[in-house]
Amino acid sequence: MDGTTIGLIAVGVVFGLDLFLLLGLVSLKAVHRRRMARHDTRRAGYVAVLSRHLAYEHHTDPIGADAGDDDAFIDAVIDLRNIVSGADIETLAGIVDRVGLARKQVARLRSRFPLGRRLRAAVSLAEIGDDSTAPVLIEHLDDREPEVRIQCARGLGRMRYTAAIDPILERLGKEQAWVRARFADTLVGFGAKATWPLIAYIRVNLGHDGNVGVIEAIRVLRTIGDRDAGPPLADVLRVSSDIEVKIAAIEALGSVGGPLAIGPLSESLQSPDWRLRAKAASSLGEIGDPEVGGDLARCLRDENWWVRRNSAAALASLLGGDRILIGALQGVDAYAADAAAEALADSGVLATARDRSETGMADEQDRILLAYVDGREEVPA
Amino acid sequence: MPEAKRVLVADDSETVTTLLVTALELEGYQVDTALNGVEAYEKGISGDFDLVILDQLMPGLLGLEIIERWQTEGRPMRVIMLSGVDDDRTVVHSLDLGAVDFVRKPFRLPELMARIRQRLLS
Repeated sequence: MDGTTIGLIAVGVVFGLDLFLLLGLVSLKAVHRRRMARHDTRRAGYVAVLSRHLAYEHHTDPIGADAGDDDAFIDAVIDLRNIVSGADIETLAGIVDRVGLARKQVARLRSRFPLGRRLRAAVSLAEIGDDSTAPVLIEHLDDREPEVRIQCARGLGRMRYTAAIDPILERLGKEQAWVRARFADTLVGFGAKATWPLIAYIRVNLGHDGNVGVIEAIRVLRTIGDRDAGPPLADVLRVSSDIEVKIAAIEALGSVGGPLAIGPLSESLQSPDWRLRAKAASSLGEIGDPEVGGDLARCLRDENWWVRRNSAAALASLLGGDRILIGALQGVDAYAADAAAEALADSGVLATARDRSETGMADEQDRILLAYVDGREEVPA
Repeated sequence: MPEAKRVLVADDSETVTTLLVTALELEGYQVDTALNGVEAYEKGISGDFDLVILDQLMPGLLGLEIIERWQTEGRPMRVIMLSGVDDDRTVVHSLDLGAVDFVRKPFRLPELMARIRQRLLS
């Protein structure tokens, strides 16, 4: 055989293989489409039967015993659960119970099926499980598959099954970042019921495992927004030496700390770490107590741009803060003046001053601000 | 025997339309459906409905836009808005435009049916 013949054979083999793979792919897609079409037809049938049960309480159309194992039935139930409420949900729960859906999905979750089927079971239980299935979901918070663990946590959060809070918290420090974030979302769903378990978790785990779980727990407390978390978070800010923990605590104190957080946050304005000073300034602005105006005014002269910027923005949100910022425009410190001007522009004070100036209603403060911003050589004293 | 009242159910979710059609037909109403905004608008113009149950968020045209167009073309309809949008401005805007009621999803089916019966009586 010469080289040309070998080359032609090679091209033919490659072409044949490509064709084979292409046909395989097309066939697989066709099979999948047919399967989905059958699924949709069955699902529509189940929606119709379930609708009759909802519309007429004495309706007796049978629902096959195998429905509890059919993804189309589960989808129909989930769809209907999302559009009805009250007694209709109980009617659906009764039907779900009669076909043994939860029992069958639990068996599927515990099986050695590949991830797809087990994940589907976890999603089903997360959507329609009740207190009776909660222990199984808790058990699978340790599942080998992260997607299954996430669905189990989500289901427990949906049920607001408070006994699940501690097991979910236990996972926080052990999970990868993306799973941890999803677990944290679940904890937010428990609301104030999760506050004290979260605080207990933070106290026990502070300083362990790189504080990753602690930082996430502090963020959850911030999102929940329960004021009870303020004093314990102030303690965390005081005792922890981890900058990331301190930053999370400062941010949370701005949201949930209230007046009790002003002391610890004002102390953080003196921190040698600029990140803490900058975050503390923002949090003090969020609390909004005019008493901290003096402390924030001093931070307008901070060596770090972020601290100056955040302090000016915080002052702009305080009652009487505008006056302090206008004062900074007249000072000798150019850094403070720039930060003040930027904050006054961001907060809308500059736009108001311009409007008033155009209508001849500008007051002394407006004139000082406009003179500074427009770059006049001399700012009126 | 009086002629059955005609109701148009317009919602892009087939689950919602199936549920409402089932419940309405059970009570003896004659029901038609639309699965998008444009179809709802056209059926409203061409049909003679006693009541329209109209979803706010539909592909093609929003529920509020459909009501406005019907009014512009001199075909005001008796509409119950149905929406998963929990937004007071949408509720107020719908009622200002002449919707006779506004029901939020998820809804209680018996309560929605009672509202429909009441609107068809009045």
